[in-house]
Amino acid sequence: MGKTVKKFMEGNDAMVAGAIAAGARFFAGYPISPSSEVAKGAAKELPRHGGIYIQMEDELSSMAALCGASLAGKKAFTATSGPGFSLMQENLGLAVMSELPCVVYDVQRSGPSTGAATKPAQGDLMQAKYGTHGDHSIIALAPSSVQDCYDLSITAFNLAEKYRTPVIFLADEVIGHLRATVSIREPEPGEIINRKAPAPGTTQKDFRPYDYSGNMPAPMVGVGDRNLLMRTTGSTHDEKGEFRPTPENIDRVTHYLMSKIEDHVDDITITREYKMEDADTVLISFGCSVRSSMSAVDLLRKEGVKAGMLELVTVWPMPEKQIRKALQQAKNVVVVELNMGQLAGEVRKYNDYGCNVIQANRTDGVLITPKQVVDALKGGMK
Amino acid sequence: MKKEIVLSGVGGQGVVSVGEVMGLAASLYEEGLNATMSASYGSEARGTFTKTDVIISDGAIGYPNIESPDIILCLAQVAYDRYVDAFRDDTLVFYDNEEVTPREGAKGEHIGFPYRSEAIKLGSIQSANFVALGTMSKKTGLLKPEGCMKAIADRFAGKKKVIESNQKALQRGLEL
Repeated sequence: MGKTVKKFMEGNDAMVAGAIAAGARFFAGYPISPSSEVAKGAAKELPRHGGIYIQMEDELSSMAALCGASLAGKKAFTATSGPGFSLMQENLGLAVMSELPCVVYDVQRSGPSTGAATKPAQGDLMQAKYGTHGDHSIIALAPSSVQDCYDLSITAFNLAEKYRTPVIFLADEVIGHLRATVSIREPEPGEIINRKAPAPGTTQKDFRPYDYSGNMPAPMVGVGDRNLLMRTTGSTHDEKGEFRPTPENIDRVTHYLMSKIEDHVDDITITREYKMEDADTVLISFGCSVRSSMSAVDLLRKEGVKAGMLELVTVWPMPEKQIRKALQQAKNVVVVELNMGQLAGEVRKYNDYGCNVIQANRTDGVLITPKQVVDALKGGMK
Repeated sequence: MKKEIVLSGVGGQGVVSVGEVMGLAASLYEEGLNATMSASYGSEARGTFTKTDVIISDGAIGYPNIESPDIILCLAQVAYDRYVDAFRDDTLVFYDNEEVTPREGAKGEHIGFPYRSEAIKLGSIQSANFVALGTMSKKTGLLKPEGCMKAIADRFAGKKKVIESNQKALQRGLEL
């Protein structure tokens, strides 16, 4: 077991600690509320661990620097919020196409545009998957506690390295600024995943930094490697990383970018259940709204309602199996989120069971209360 | 066991620092307790209303905000007025009895001390918040004084004078 230390710390600080524990040694970003403490913490901690912190001129260049650092072999991360996340979308696409492992922390706030800079929201759920153009899949994780901010950071980097993909850490102002008791456990070396390198003795003639024949990424080397030249481009490329826009190649690359994540949904999916065993009323939620949902379940149980909660920790790919199981089990499902119903739309997609799907939304920049969740259920109950 | 504690006052009175010290004391120096703390976050400035919600529990903590406190500290009138309607009969209301005039007929057990004056007597007006923590610790028994002392040293690590004056203030609160 790795060394464990108890702490009372803030979510944003726990994200930095988790990233460093995962082996991240590069941060490029542009501080923005309510994520600024991540940049501050990275600036303080990375140099102490032999890492690099760069404050960039904006979020476009931040994401470009992340791609560059990842291509050079570093585990890299940035932290932002709505307006910055929008600016990162173009180069996030480059990271998808060039298969560059990295982690983008989005500490969500109320939008669109500058919105209400210091207020929480969960309106970036769809943007996390569809913000950058073109068909692709992506991994996004949503923490609901300060403990998650640490533990899931390690998971996020591991998934990024394993599947050679950007991972979105979809936090929010409530969790980012919450302080809580946490156990900071140093991971064992075996718990950390690093990207695969080509077999020793691989020559340039045989080196293929891309592999579209299956559903797992090829080994890669850092740019500047002494023996192998690592080519890449955001344009549709072949196994060597060379531009190849033929119909067959475009088609197989598109299918590959989907299947390398969607085929491994069971490995990537993390969900949690709270009092679900006998539940006929199920709350489905993610991120900060989980906290309100958990308390709402307790309130409902006191009233004799058989309530339970399904927490989606992995939000992309959407945990279809677990959502279907809840819809099959329950008479009423309440989808709890700080937006107008982005997750509710996904849940309804899978509702082949005639389940009554109710929305509990709050969009005034304040965390939804347990009572509001209970009221939403009572208002929409069949 | 679950206690919901609101620390309220105006910007500059250090309610966030007290919340951090309470969270540290519960997390590090008590057996089996968890704490959460959420502070007001926005464009508030020195002199305007501010609050911190601290929840201490021996179980998991769900919703981290407080609607009706078990214990509340009000260091300023604006803070008292903001919360008075949320008091229950069994709410413990700690307040600065030279800065706050309680509302007649208000619910809750009112416990007043001259926190600001006591802090001035100790030579540090900024540590009224820790005089208050001392009185809360003594009256409720929720957090051990030794744990609070250590937590002050953790929170202000590297600032010897600040640690000394805050620990002195805590001690004064324990004696009131």
